Amino acid sequence: MLKLDNLTADVGEGDGRKTILNGLSLEVPAGEVHAIMGPNGAGKSTLSYVLTGRDGYEATSGAATLDGDDLLEMEPDERAAAGLFLSFQYPVEIPGVPVMTFVRAAINAQRKTRGEDEISAPDFIKKAREIGQKLNIDADMLKRPVNVGFSGGEKKRLEIFQMMMMEPRFAILDETDSGLDIDALKTVADGVNALRNEDRGMLVITHYQRLLDHIKPDRVHVLAKGRIIKSGGPELALQLEKEGYDGILGEVA
Amino acid sequence: MTTTALKNPSEAERQLTDLFSQQKPEASQKAAFEAFTRSGLPHRRMEQWKWTDVRQAVSRLATVDTAADTSIELPSDAIELRFDGSAWTIPDKLSEGLKIFAKSGGHDFAQADALPLGALASSMTGHSGEDMLMIEVSAKVDQPLVLTYHGGGAAAFSRVVFVVRKDCHLDLFEHYSGGAGFSAFLAEFGLAENASVDRTVLQESSREEVTAITTTAHLDAKATFKQTALSFGGKLCRMETRLEHQGEGAEATLNGAYLVASGFHTDFTTHVTHGAESCVTSQLTKGAVADGGRGVFQGKFLVPRTVGQFTDAEMQHQALLLENGAEIFAKPELEIYADDVECEHGNTSGQLDDDALFYMQQRGIPKPEARALLTEAFIAEALGDALKGVRDQLIEATRRFLRNQGSN
Repeated sequence: MLKLDNLTADVGEGDGRKTILNGLSLEVPAGEVHAIMGPNGAGKSTLSYVLTGRDGYEATSGAATLDGDDLLEMEPDERAAAGLFLSFQYPVEIPGVPVMTFVRAAINAQRKTRGEDEISAPDFIKKAREIGQKLNIDADMLKRPVNVGFSGGEKKRLEIFQMMMMEPRFAILDETDSGLDIDALKTVADGVNALRNEDRGMLVITHYQRLLDHIKPDRVHVLAKGRIIKSGGPELALQLEKEGYDGILGEVA
Repeated sequence: MTTTALKNPSEAERQLTDLFSQQKPEASQKAAFEAFTRSGLPHRRMEQWKWTDVRQAVSRLATVDTAADTSIELPSDAIELRFDGSAWTIPDKLSEGLKIFAKSGGHDFAQADALPLGALASSMTGHSGEDMLMIEVSAKVDQPLVLTYHGGGAAAFSRVVFVVRKDCHLDLFEHYSGGAGFSAFLAEFGLAENASVDRTVLQESSREEVTAITTTAHLDAKATFKQTALSFGGKLCRMETRLEHQGEGAEATLNGAYLVASGFHTDFTTHVTHGAESCVTSQLTKGAVADGGRGVFQGKFLVPRTVGQFTDAEMQHQALLLENGAEIFAKPELEIYADDVECEHGNTSGQLDDDALFYMQQRGIPKPEARALLTEAFIAEALGDALKGVRDQLIEATRRFLRNQGSN
């Protein structure tokens, strides 16, 4: 499904330009959830921005494909239409655009790019109501402008709401646990788990083990200095929690 | 007949002098024209006109080939008055409490020195034909009154005086859709105690037209004047509002938005005097300007000592440069002499937030659409108070403008 082959990427422009991803290879097959853990500055968020095509994050060599389609050739909105979703570490405010208007515009834009019909208004509203209920998001919140005045927890729940509405083929969750209390973490994890199926892949980026108690990964990778330095089963996350990154990094070095 | 001579008149100023000379003016019209000749067509060496040089833009009076492209569906119960560039058409049936008549002869224009194009309009109207209206409101009028301005050859002038009696109310929509090479329109509002006016203005014209819409308003105690204006500009367009709080507890809302395409120019200028205690002014102006367009905002709150005590006034101007090459000039001014007041102002010009644009793209919305959606939401905030019957159409006009910009 998602395949990264020897991916190298630069961030910034001019003198400030730095190579952050340095020969990163990774494969997440359909139906699996992989976790990426790593110390600050390892390149975790850079990876999510390179894959989604943010300006200023440029892949200089290597390949990134989703079901064989070259992601790096596509505009960010085309990548979204191809099924790639990023739950942002810091969700952005969209002043003046209500959540419902925004999500519907996004779904219909994706459908248009894929050559599909628009979602009907009743279907959309019904689905939004159902998913909102699961995530403790009330109708009032859906009428407010996207993320404007939302608490940290509300923003993260809204990311998962959008993911559930859009049903992407592949989701990247970038530190979705940060800013969440224990109850909200469980709500969010339940939402993510509800989307797990044999056709969908996920990449969960996190600092901490605790999210992985709720979203059990099939594989865990350790990212440091722009590449995967160690991969293993769920037990690797527990080892990290116990020994810290220094332990693992020392072991590899 | 003789009039005060302009110094070194431009061709347009000579033409205007000729036009005036053909009339048989009364004293007030003469006085207004004399006030106009003290400055002539306003130009960039005048502080208030440094970014909007009318003398240069109107080198001579000439007809233009234009067509209004926005058709607005009026509320079904609207009472519509039409101005064709020389005369008003007034419907036979009017609401109770609404008296409208064309007036000939003069009517003093007290602000002539501060408002040269208002002075010009008041000097040129009321001679013959029906280009000057008196509108008296003596009830809470439920049906919205609509004034439509279109047409006029080389030059068009109109003057409308609104008198709103104590406790009375008027909903008003004015649609200026061009049609003359040079237009100078004057609207004057006198609001008695506890009277209220809810006014929405839509202005559009072609790249060849110069339009000046001058408004004055005087508010007695507890009167409320609410204005929402959307301007697409023209070769040059000046939307100038001069408002004075004259009675305690009066309230004014002056909201506006300008959308300026390449080759267009719009100027929002406002001047508010807090001439009585405990008055409130709230002003929000938003703008979006494309490459080759120019937007101007000049706002001033004047709060005199003693009479201006307990003023509560806020002025916000926020503008978006849609592309490189867009120009925005802004001068917000607070001149405060009273010591117990709450006055604020804010002024920003910038570009759309890249983080927001990327977020929207990541969700599947192509960049041009994301830009249009963000800009529409930004502009719509200033149009929220527009009259219900036309508000959605103003937002639709905004959307159309942004879509056209995106496809360029």
